[in-house]
Amino acid sequence: MSEVKMVGLTIDGRTVRAAEGTNVLQAAEQAGISIPHFCYHPAFEAEGNCRLCLVEIEGLPKLDSACSTVVREGMIVRTSTAPVLEARKDVLEFLLAEHPLDCPICDKAGECKLQDYYDRHGLFPGWFLEAKEKRQKKISIGKGLLLDRERCILCTRCVRYLRKVTGTGELGVFERGVRAEVGTYDDAPIDNNYSGNLVDICPVGAITDTDFRFKTRAWFLEKRPTVCPRCSRGCAVIVESVSGYPLEEGERRVFRIRAGENPAVNGYWICDFGRAGRRDIDEGRQERVIKSASPESELSWQKALADVMARIRSVPGPERAAKVAVILNSRMTREELTLAKRLFAEGLSLDKIFFADPKPGAADGFLLTEERVPNARGVLQAGFSPRLPDLDALAASVEVLLVFGSHLLDHFSEEAVSRALAKIPSKFLFSAHTGPLDRLAEIVFPLAVSAEKSGTYINIDGLRQSFGRAAEPAPGVVSEHEILGCLAAGLGLNVGEHDVR
Amino acid sequence: MSEDAVRLIPADEGSWRLEAYLRRGGYEAARKAVMSMAPADVITEVRKAGLRGRGGAGFPAGLKWSFVPQGGAGPKYLCVNADEGEPGTFKDRAILVRNPHQLIEGMTIAAFGVGIRKAFIYVRGEYGRIAGRLREAIAEAEDEGFLGGGIFGSGFDLEVIVHLGAGAYICGEETALLESIEGRRGQPRLKPPFPAVVGLFRAPTAINNVETLANVPLIIGRGADWFLGRGLPKDGGTRLFGVSGAVRRPGLYELPMGTQLRTIIEIHAGGPPEGVAIKAVIPGGLSAPALRPDELDVTMDFDALARAGSMLGSAGIIVIGDKIPILDVLKVMARFYAHESCGQCTPCRIGTSWIHKTVMRIGEGQGRASDLDHILRLADGMKGRTLCPMGDAAALPVQALVTKFRDELEKAVAR
Amino acid sequence: MSYAPSAAAVKKIDGIIAPYPEKSAALLPVLRVVQDELGCVPPEAETWVAAKLGIQPIRIREVLSFYTMFRRRPAGKTIIQVCRNLSCTLAGAEDIIGFLKERLHVGPDGTTPDGRITLVTVECLGHCDHSPCLQIDGIDHGPVTRDGVAALLEELRAHE
Ligand SMILES: Cc1cc2nc3c(=O)[nH]c(=O)nc-3n(C[C@H](O)[C@H](O)[C@H](O)COP(=O)(O)O)c2cc1C
Ligand code: SF4
Ligand code: FES
Repeated sequence: MSEVKMVGLTIDGRTVRAAEGTNVLQAAEQAGISIPHFCYHPAFEAEGNCRLCLVEIEGLPKLDSACSTVVREGMIVRTSTAPVLEARKDVLEFLLAEHPLDCPICDKAGECKLQDYYDRHGLFPGWFLEAKEKRQKKISIGKGLLLDRERCILCTRCVRYLRKVTGTGELGVFERGVRAEVGTYDDAPIDNNYSGNLVDICPVGAITDTDFRFKTRAWFLEKRPTVCPRCSRGCAVIVESVSGYPLEEGERRVFRIRAGENPAVNGYWICDFGRAGRRDIDEGRQERVIKSASPESELSWQKALADVMARIRSVPGPERAAKVAVILNSRMTREELTLAKRLFAEGLSLDKIFFADPKPGAADGFLLTEERVPNARGVLQAGFSPRLPDLDALAASVEVLLVFGSHLLDHFSEEAVSRALAKIPSKFLFSAHTGPLDRLAEIVFPLAVSAEKSGTYINIDGLRQSFGRAAEPAPGVVSEHEILGCLAAGLGLNVGEHDVR
Repeated sequence: MSEDAVRLIPADEGSWRLEAYLRRGGYEAARKAVMSMAPADVITEVRKAGLRGRGGAGFPAGLKWSFVPQGGAGPKYLCVNADEGEPGTFKDRAILVRNPHQLIEGMTIAAFGVGIRKAFIYVRGEYGRIAGRLREAIAEAEDEGFLGGGIFGSGFDLEVIVHLGAGAYICGEETALLESIEGRRGQPRLKPPFPAVVGLFRAPTAINNVETLANVPLIIGRGADWFLGRGLPKDGGTRLFGVSGAVRRPGLYELPMGTQLRTIIEIHAGGPPEGVAIKAVIPGGLSAPALRPDELDVTMDFDALARAGSMLGSAGIIVIGDKIPILDVLKVMARFYAHESCGQCTPCRIGTSWIHKTVMRIGEGQGRASDLDHILRLADGMKGRTLCPMGDAAALPVQALVTKFRDELEKAVAR
Repeated sequence: MSYAPSAAAVKKIDGIIAPYPEKSAALLPVLRVVQDELGCVPPEAETWVAAKLGIQPIRIREVLSFYTMFRRRPAGKTIIQVCRNLSCTLAGAEDIIGFLKERLHVGPDGTTPDGRITLVTVECLGHCDHSPCLQIDGIDHGPVTRDGVAALLEELRAHE
């Protein structure tokens, strides 16, 4: 590979070096100077239609769009002179003249670029005396997305996204002049696994998602990054949640998952399947420890775990390999898997270590992989050879069974699993979601989902990605890491906790 | 040799036929270029002749050709701009109807000079019938070996395709024209890259107006000096001046570049009819800022009109008589640009529409004292800030009307 | 509903497409052939053209709605386009338009109840030295007067 040539230029008096081919908008951004813009998106070629990014370039008679101007050696750019500020203000005024100003009921309020820029660069008196064009405000364009043509500023990011990224091209621009409008072709709504990104890239509230619409206001959202656990790509995502106000005291809800940026993995996009992972965080959660013998009693996981340890201890050491079994999964983090390895394989010398994962699905040729777990590589690296259990064999010999996750049911019928478990005297379920296995277990532990954990996943290409906790778990919800750590401590096994990471 | 031989629009009725063109000495210049000149010399000669683009911007044709990369294995294209959408303009129509072979010959020479083998003529959709005649002329030329494969028995080929537009003024803008030939909405492209480098089908492309190219055979046939002698130094040749509106003899007048505007109106077009006085003159198609009666002593060439705060543009002269309210002119203008904005970029899409709405409101007797200043402000908001030159084309003439006829418009607003 | 142009039109279309380096570029002229045959370009024709040129139907809709000469819905057998840009306005275009509206009992962009004539107002037809001017089925007329227009309408009727 040839080396990237650097170009030196001056932006607002600052000397800036940028790679050849960079545009002025990006170069300024890299130097910490932000130039407002709507239509430009780093994933596509500049289109230059919004005209908000106009800047002064020495030697040119007119302002020019920063997004479409490539840096040149010695170029002198000014981004905040009077003519530039004037132009920005005018462009915003034009856009607002045809904008419904329905911010109080707009989902985008609080994170809308039009709103932000007006605050910073607009603030002009309302001149517009003419009637705004009447346009449709609630057009279903497929996959739960709604288009509001009055809010649309025609930046065409959405149209270009569907042409250049998904290649599906469901949106187009019809009519011309002030009547120009974005839309789908009659009976051909948006239908691809990446439609949710449209909401992310729309700089205003013209494309909204019914899954989020009217549910909360953007300024209440706490936004934290993590890695998507729904397939082995490991896309960067942002989990957006509210804890407490304006919800009930102590209540937490995840309102949205959005694409995070990671040039090495997903660029700016995530798939709809990953985005729908919001439901995994909020819906059908196992909320507390349930002991089948006394289902009503409040029990801490620490107390309940004592029962598990007692059962394990009751099996004499030499017999454990045959009589104690665990079922793990590939959603566990690399750190948890290491602990599991040390605890179960090395500490307890178990033979019967199995894995039950969601069934693979079809890859879509873009980001979504066949594997629907995030850490299959991590499982291998931790030294496991993942395999499914044989239920009959399990039923015939095992006395204590620890099941992490509920994906046995992806591979066996509920009936078969029930039959097998009925023959095992002690079985414990560690699961984030409620499900049919719950009633079969002696104790069910409420586990954290990956958004509530920190850890590391190794993606399909072998890339290690560490992430922090993106949403606060409910009180009493516990991670595998804590469970395994406590088990090890309780059983007196040194798993080198401190050097796991 | 009759005077017709050096005219873009011959007087002779059957002038469009190949045999008539050959009688006028047609295709001799192309033969000379292809058979005896080096391509680079063709470009040099045209540069020397000071041939400035007749489509509107007045860019020197030879210079533009020299920007097209020489050689190279990939295709290059020539696009002829026969969109003629500028209101008040009907000169290219006349060339297509009366002298299509001179255009074709000019194309052949240009293509030879630049190294092009495929050309498109973009004819506005409203000229569908005229395009039929153009196709006939192309077929005639092909039959005689003046076009197609092995022109004049040389190794030089040129294929010509007539591409009809379908009703969109903006497609006269050169990059919108390229989009339209490629089968898309006529939305102008960002420049740079300029079409000479990245144009039609992403290949280097020369784009010229019909009248520009029709002058080329004269330059190659008779030399740059002869051509310069027909016009001004640096701005050679004649120009087809179209005159319409309040004159006795509306029509097309082929006169030397730099002819006085007042001469064209008063002498050639016969001046305003009995009882009518001139209120305003638009000198170069609707987009050219209007001149007041006291500003008519200007020569009709690119530089002089620019100095006068207007432009030669398409040289379509529209004479506005004193019986017409300026508000009516403003209404037509505002409606036209709002109707023709491609809608792609913010200032033009919304600015043209906003100006239109305001002007119409004034027309309905609902004017407000601030309206005129407001229109000027809106035009300022568009000027120099749009993606393509259409923003200026729409803003400047509106500003000129409002500024120069403010008193009359104030009265209309107050009504 | 499905649509296929006549054999003659298909032949013409194939001829049109041939010289273009990319066949999708032939969209405008191809739509013109279809419109000449059907009087407009309905959705089923969009589907056919899309398949023919290897593009998505939405690209055709984008183009149809951009250019004023394309129609997505049927119009009258005869189309009268009256220019109302500046030169024609100066020469009395509005009066001619008013007269046509009155005679045909239709507004601009309206079609007579018998489906024979559609009246359209357009921007400059490039015939300003003959203003006020109009175009009937592609043939230019101008300068026209009320009487002249009445005679043209008469002629149209006689041709029925
Ligand atoms: C809005 C707009 C409309 C234009 N319309 C025409 C036109 O109808 N015919 C034309 O030749 N040039 C037109 N032009 C100018 C072209 O962009 C281009 O400059 C010209 O075709 C180049 O040819 P020339 O150098 O021979 O003049 C238009 C430009 C603009 C901005
Ligand atoms: S200036 Fe007008 S015509 Fe040109 S790109 Fe912008 S909207 Fe389109
Ligand atoms: S971001 Fe540059 S014009 Fe829109």
